[in-house]
Formats: sequence, structure tokens, C-alpha cells
Amino acid sequence: MTLRIRVRAGRILWFSGLVVMVLIVIAPVFVMFKYAISDRASVVTGGMPIPLWPFHPTLEQFRGLAGTEQFLAAAVTSLQAALLSVTLSLAIGTPAAYALSRYRFPGVMVLATALISIRLFPDVVAVVPVVEIFTRLALVNRVLGVALAHSLLAAPYVIFIAMGVFDTIPIELEEQARILGAGPVRSFVRIVLPVALPGLAAAAIYVFLLSWDEFIFSYFLLAFGEQSTLPVILQKILSWTPQHNLLAAISVVLSVPVVAFTFLVQRYMQTGAMAGAVK
Amino acid sequence: MLAPAVIYLGGFLVIILVKVSVLALSYQGASGVVFPSAQHFMGLSENPEFREALTRTMWFTLVGTPVELVAGLVLAFLVVGDFKGRGLVRSVFILPLAIPAIVTAIILYIVFDFPGGHVNDLLRGCHAVFPFRLISTPINWRGSGFFALMVAMFGKVWRDMPISMLIILAGLQAIDKEQIEAARTLGANAGQIFLRITLPLLVPAMSTVLVLRSIEMWKEFIFPFILAGSYPLLATLIERAYHEWRNPNEACAIALVLLVLIMGSTGVVLYVSRRLKKWLVAA
Repeated sequence: MTLRIRVRAGRILWFSGLVVMVLIVIAPVFVMFKYAISDRASVVTGGMPIPLWPFHPTLEQFRGLAGTEQFLAAAVTSLQAALLSVTLSLAIGTPAAYALSRYRFPGVMVLATALISIRLFPDVVAVVPVVEIFTRLALVNRVLGVALAHSLLAAPYVIFIAMGVFDTIPIELEEQARILGAGPVRSFVRIVLPVALPGLAAAAIYVFLLSWDEFIFSYFLLAFGEQSTLPVILQKILSWTPQHNLLAAISVVLSVPVVAFTFLVQRYMQTGAMAGAVK
Repeated sequence: MLAPAVIYLGGFLVIILVKVSVLALSYQGASGVVFPSAQHFMGLSENPEFREALTRTMWFTLVGTPVELVAGLVLAFLVVGDFKGRGLVRSVFILPLAIPAIVTAIILYIVFDFPGGHVNDLLRGCHAVFPFRLISTPINWRGSGFFALMVAMFGKVWRDMPISMLIILAGLQAIDKEQIEAARTLGANAGQIFLRITLPLLVPAMSTVLVLRSIEMWKEFIFPFILAGSYPLLATLIERAYHEWRNPNEACAIALVLLVLIMGSTGVVLYVSRRLKKWLVAA
């Protein structure tokens, strides 16, 4: 009897915990969407409480954004920086991951751990020296500079994810190809790469999202220039105290690709988030 | 094949470390640049803004890191069992990871607005869903150091909960079920099983969470930058030193202080968790 009561109490506790945590997680996301589709009267209420659901839901903020040159330019800059970061960090990271996975020379794990652990280096500590160096190299206020900085953050993740991918591909596959007369390059391109492609695509998406989200380097590198990425423009317009529904609409545009892709590559995101943490 | 990665990552790391140290240790005196010089550190140690930022950062980390761990533990224990819709709930709990940090900060900026934000409205009992009048006048969240940093910490914890949850979950799932079965056969009750088996075996996962989260807390930038602009932490003080004081040398000196603090605290966390595991296993 007492046991049954205790089990029952445990279930109730568990369920209320679940409800509370789901609400805590959902509430900010709900508020973002609510503001993004709010009409002016639901945001500027003249002292009255702001309604929990807009009086007249509207897409006018998004329509407005689609016609705002500054916003579109920022979206293009964000895309360029992200795609360039993907290209750079995969070009740097994939060969290294392949070498670390295939050639078991002494100290290989130390090197792999060292390369992956670089991601633990605090970005706020690195940002001032990087901007000072980039100023001298004329890389400030340029997409290339942002992409170089983002690749620095992303390459350790690429190495980690790609190493895991290459580790799952049996070396016998390549050996057989070599026996059949394929050179190392040919066997890599024709045998390894096609098998590794889904995993590498996940790495690419991961880098894309990292660059798309990134604020600190983008902000320091673009703060006083003409160009902005989307996170930077969000911060820049904050200083003119804009209407909250405009802020929310930009936030939605910024979040939607991340949410979509995160659930697509959830498995890899998890390993990526924990890279270098679990030995 | 390794060369590009080693050169790019290693090279950048070396250049950054050299540059940050050179800038922090060179002082533009009346008779030219002095190197090495501790002048910037001495100047900072007497600067009230730096001292306040240091104190705030320590509190932010000391409070925030355990909260991150507890949040991760709560989420992981909520979804570790089998129940209908577990996959969906897990996906919901991953959601904060998919919302960019700057977006989370902006949402909190909107919600904790003064005088008319949602939180103020709710606390004043303006909505039917929560008809309790807890405060009579709205709170100026961004105008108080305590509230501003609490909101920033909430944002940080909210956004990082999924990572902590996933690490703890991986730790929980790695625990051998047979060990728990064996203990139960030998007559251990649920409390004993938790204290003697689950908890000690979970220490590595928890220490991973603590190490990663404490590093993140020390260096947190986005949330305090957007939500507590008037109450800088060390990370946001770097930005202020660089952009407002126009002093890259002092910015780098603050950065070096932060780096040393991070390395020191990581060492302490690792040492303590190793001792804790030994103690839990022995007890």
C-alpha cells in the first residue's frame, strides 16, 4: 500500500516536472513567434498589458523585411560567410581527419586531442588579438575575415566529426581497391568519399549553423563597417529601440534554418557538442 | 594531409597567445614602449570597473555552473525512462540548442522589458492565466545589476540545458543495468541504489558538465552584453576596453586574467571531481 502511494507520488512528481520543463523550454520560442506575427496595436499598447496573442496576426513584418535592403544585405553576408566557412573548414579539417584516422603513428591521439581541444580556447580571449591582426591584414569589415575566424572555431569540430566518420569505414575496403590497382587518390575519391559523404554533409551543416549563429567574432570584425551578418544586425538595430515585432521577425528568420537543420543532424550535433569532452 | 590543419589551428593559437601577451605586457610610456611591463595589470587592479566586473564574473560562474548541472540532471532524469512520446519530449528539450544565443538574448530583452514586458505584466497579475498580483510596480530588470545578471544567467542556462542533458543522459545510459539488478537482488532499496551505484558512476559525466559549463560561464559574452550592458562581466569588459576605452592593451590584459581564471578553475573542478569519485566509491 505505502509502496503504491510512493510510486504514485513519484509519477505525479515526474509528470509535473515534465510539464514545467516543457513550458520553460517552449515559452520563449512561443513569445518569439507571437511577436513576429503581431500587428502594431498588439505591440504599442500605450501602457496597457501586451496581449498574449496578437489582436490581428499578420505577416507584415516579414513582408517589410523582404523589402528592406539593409536586412537582405545582411542575410546575403551571413550566407556568404557561412558557405565560405564550410568550404574552408572542410578543406582544412577533412584531410587531417583522414590522416588521423588512417595512419596510427605514435602520438596520433595526442595530436588529435590537441587539435580538437583548441575549441575549448575561450573566444572572447582570442577576439581582440585576432581583430588586431586582421586589421593589419585588411580583413576587418570583410566577409573573408569573418569566414577565416569562423573556420578557426569550426575546424576542430570538423576534425572530430570526420574522424568518427572515417573510423567507421573499414580499411579493408581501401586495401581491396588498391589490390585491384587503384592508387591512393583514386581509392580515396572513388571508395572512401562516397561512403563518408553523409557524415561529412552533417559536418558541413554543423559548420554552416555555427557560422550562421556566431556573434562574437562577427560583431568585433563588423561592428563599425557597412556590412553585417544577421546576428550583428540584430544587435546594431537594438540601439535605435525598434518595435519588438521587428526584432522578433528577424529572430525567426535567423532561427528557422537552425531549428530545421538541427533536427536533421541531431545525432551528429550531439557528438559535436560533446567533442573533446568525453574521452 | 595533416599540415593545413596543424598550421591553421596551431599557428593561429600561437599567434593569438603571443599577440595577447605582447599587447597586455607592453606599456606606452612617456619614453616609448616598455616591454615587458605589468603596468596594465597594476592599472586594472586599481580600476573599480575591473574589480566590480571580476566580482560579478565570479558570482555569475559560482552560481551559474551548479544551476547548469542541476538543469541538465533534471532534464536527463525526466527523459531517461520509457514513456509514450519520449522521442517528442526529447526533441523539445533539444530545442534551445537550435535557437541562436543572440535570438534567445533578444527574446529575453523583449520579455523582461520595462515597464511593459510580459514578465512585469504577469507578475502584476494582468493576465487571466496567472491572476496573482505579486508586485505592484513594474521592475526595471535592466536597471539593476542583480536582476540584469539573473536574466542573463537564465538565458545562458536555458540555451545550454540540452548539452548538459545529453552528457548526463549518455552517462546514465552507460551504467550497466546488471549492476543495478544485482544490487536489487542483494536487497538494496531505490535510495541505496541511487547513492551507491548511479551517483558514483555518474560523476565522470557530471564533472564533464561542470568543466564545460564553468568555462562557458567564465567567458559568457552574448547574454550579459545584450541584457546587462551597464553591469559588465570580464568578457563584456574586454569589449568595453577595446571599443569604448580604445585600449587594446588593457583589453588583452583583461583577457589574460580571464584565461588564467578559466585554467585555474578547470584544474580545481577536475581535481575536486576526482576526489569526489574516490570518496563516493569508498564510502
